[in-house]
Amino acid sequence: MTRASVSPLIRELRAALGAAQVLSAPADLVAYECDGFTIEKHPPDAVVFPRSTDEVARIVKICNRLGVPVVPRGAGTSLAGGCLPIGGGVVVMLTRMKQVIEVNLRDRLAVVEAGATNVALGRALSGTGYHFAPDPSSQKASTIGGNVATNAGGPHTLKYGVTVNHVLGIEAVLGDGSVLRVGPIDNPAGLDLIGVLVGNEGTLAVVTKVWVRLTPNPADYRTMQVIFETVDDATNAISDIIAQGIVPAAMELMDRGIVAAVEEAFAMGFPLDAGATVVIEIDGPSAGLDEQQQRIVKLCEKWNAREVLYAADAKEREKLWQCRKMAVGAVGRLSPSYIIQDGVVPRTQLPRVLRRIGEIAVKYGLRIVNVAHAGDGNVHPILLFDERDPEQVERTLAASGELLQECINCGGSVTAEHGVGVEKIRFMDKLFAPADLEAMRRVRQSFDPSGCLNPGKLIPSAS
Amino acid sequence: MATTNLPLIETITPADAAAVAAAVAEAARTDAAVYPIGGGTALDYGARPTRTGVGVSLAKLNRVVDHPARDLTITVEAGLTIAALRKKLAAERQRLPVDIPQADRATVGGAVAASPSGPRRYRWSTMRDYVIGIHAVDGAGTEFSGGGRVVKNAAGYDLCRLLTGSLGTLAVITQVTLMVKPMADTAAVMACDLGDFDTAERLLAVMVRTDTLPVAIELLAGPAWRDDPALGPMTDGAVGRLVVGFEGSAPEVDWMLESLAGEWHQCGVANPITVPSAQVEPLYRRLTEFPVGTPEPDGSAPLVVQISVLPSATVAAVRRLREMMPECSLEVHAGNGVIRGRFAVAPDAAAAMLRERLRPLVTQAGGAMVVLAHPPDADLDVRSVWGPPGDGATVMRAIKERFDPKNLLNPGRFVY
Repeated sequence: MTRASVSPLIRELRAALGAAQVLSAPADLVAYECDGFTIEKHPPDAVVFPRSTDEVARIVKICNRLGVPVVPRGAGTSLAGGCLPIGGGVVVMLTRMKQVIEVNLRDRLAVVEAGATNVALGRALSGTGYHFAPDPSSQKASTIGGNVATNAGGPHTLKYGVTVNHVLGIEAVLGDGSVLRVGPIDNPAGLDLIGVLVGNEGTLAVVTKVWVRLTPNPADYRTMQVIFETVDDATNAISDIIAQGIVPAAMELMDRGIVAAVEEAFAMGFPLDAGATVVIEIDGPSAGLDEQQQRIVKLCEKWNAREVLYAADAKEREKLWQCRKMAVGAVGRLSPSYIIQDGVVPRTQLPRVLRRIGEIAVKYGLRIVNVAHAGDGNVHPILLFDERDPEQVERTLAASGELLQECINCGGSVTAEHGVGVEKIRFMDKLFAPADLEAMRRVRQSFDPSGCLNPGKLIPSAS
Repeated sequence: MATTNLPLIETITPADAAAVAAAVAEAARTDAAVYPIGGGTALDYGARPTRTGVGVSLAKLNRVVDHPARDLTITVEAGLTIAALRKKLAAERQRLPVDIPQADRATVGGAVAASPSGPRRYRWSTMRDYVIGIHAVDGAGTEFSGGGRVVKNAAGYDLCRLLTGSLGTLAVITQVTLMVKPMADTAAVMACDLGDFDTAERLLAVMVRTDTLPVAIELLAGPAWRDDPALGPMTDGAVGRLVVGFEGSAPEVDWMLESLAGEWHQCGVANPITVPSAQVEPLYRRLTEFPVGTPEPDGSAPLVVQISVLPSATVAAVRRLREMMPECSLEVHAGNGVIRGRFAVAPDAAAAMLRERLRPLVTQAGGAMVVLAHPPDADLDVRSVWGPPGDGATVMRAIKERFDPKNLLNPGRFVY
């Protein structure tokens, strides 16, 4: 876009929303020049704070007419640059649309504005006996709209599925500013637009309201930490558990490097010399849980588990999960900067891919620590570096690329739950054939013919 | 091959995806319509086709491509039957937990395209949540893929869900990768007869608060359910029966049966019926086959519709249907708000019944309705079958035009 169009843009946005809802001074825009992916930065031309779907529609219409990109943003926790205003444009902050509008237990659904945080929805459901199942580690900050945009997951997706399995309806503003509402009643008369909109990363529509499915809280839990001598033993045990037909609620692997960071931050008493610590949780009616736990422990022992520690009560369980979810943040103590990657492989390939990540760390002279939603084959290698050193940045990006390529080589994918954003876009043609990408472009053109929604993300433009 | 009203000039049986692509490309060149055919169990699902064309049978694409059992995924060609898929999975104590009618004939590709609904969708959903990878041929004869072979994947748009339930109107599905589940150790069903509809609603509200984890919550009403081999005869004067399914390890299932019996007891249900494990699968099969099932007593084919409402509106809708048409039989996924109804009707009266009786009721209930099956000679147009176009119609049409610009694939049958 050209600079000349900025000024009428600001004028029109102010007229449509009121001046207080529009930021355009360069100093105010700095905070929006990147998200959780900090390697690339670009300031937007304006940041707007709509209060309703109608205001979002007005914004999109203005941008559409002026040919200005629209970049929807929730909490800005994207780790893939999903909210990066790559070529300028208007960042649409959904954070003032944060009402939990309705909790309807009889129909097992809640109606939530896109800007409500995942944890705020959790609070609204507290005491009802129900919860919203997706639990990304970012849940204290990340919004339901953002969860929908990236098809967010979390530790408990192993048993409960990802966001798309829990969305019953969506209200969204399309690329031409029209409002689309699908669901919450399941209607087979038509295409599964909800299925397509979840994970769209703001490129098909600006999601403004979501009807989410509520999941009954488990009656009981068994949560344990299993300490293994080696990562290989841990991944083999995990693979055996899945292969035996046991579906725990979660199986989270932390390798020695991340355990060290967690210990320094939280002093949980994890052994620092063990190769891997796996947090395994099973849930459901109390009847049968002990038996299931014994089967799991047996499989872990087969793979030389050194020790199994059981969470004695709800408080210990809570602490264990808090520590797991804060693990990535704890890395901040080890390194000035880090990239958290999001690869996924067929579950049986987990031992191979984690071995290769170790080799890649050695090859590039980098420190890489790992957490993994291991039961799903979803690895989050964290690459530690110093962004002030361009040479380190380069090495880190190269190592990042190589480990994602390794995921592809294992039959996997370059993102399981963080999204493509700008970060992974260069991998899309390694993962997909030209005809596959062309099919995706058709979807995009159908929702957003003018191409104003979050351009430069998710799929590379046709060459 | 099933009998069908499809206006076919010929049916060809390509040997692989490339041959399917060539066939569609040839049809595109000659402007012939293309009707993908799996097991032929749902060929009359949808509105009347608008053009003559070529049937493309997937019968020869029936291989299991890869079954890495320890990954709990399987990649199969679209023409593999559901029965063959189940057999392959069962050997590893695995399953696709979606209820699909006529499994001996129905194919994996057909099940993805038509996406049927079944009793266990309360816990296990429908095909949309199992397809993790897909290969297909679009309306220009170009092959493309979506998804992959991993159970969690955020790379690109979800073409798997786009094609699931699209009734073969965007592309001919040639191969899919499915996420599968371990088999349950054991299963059981508990049921009770419902003296009146207020009791029905009260018990369904209990199912929202239950400590148990049902896999199916079914409400059955009407003559078709007066007697059932597993449930026995319905009590005289009952308005219907509530059927709740459980599965899991033996101690879990036993505990849930006992808990639910206790919860029901507090609502005045004295003697619930318990269906033992061996009879559970046949009962689910009867529920699954209900929409296609047997003809009406006089031998005619019924009109079968699927009505979707919010779960809380289900009992009221069921009550109105039963009062309005006492001869209708209903199988209701009550936990989901999905009502499947069979109505005896003369072929030439089907359109009027939909328009004048059923559609107004559905609109009033804030729901949606589609026709699942109809008498062969009933002349139903797109609106009769699928209802009024919704909010997404413009986007859906735009997608259709881009995947099948010449409108060759199943023309006229779906909502466009």
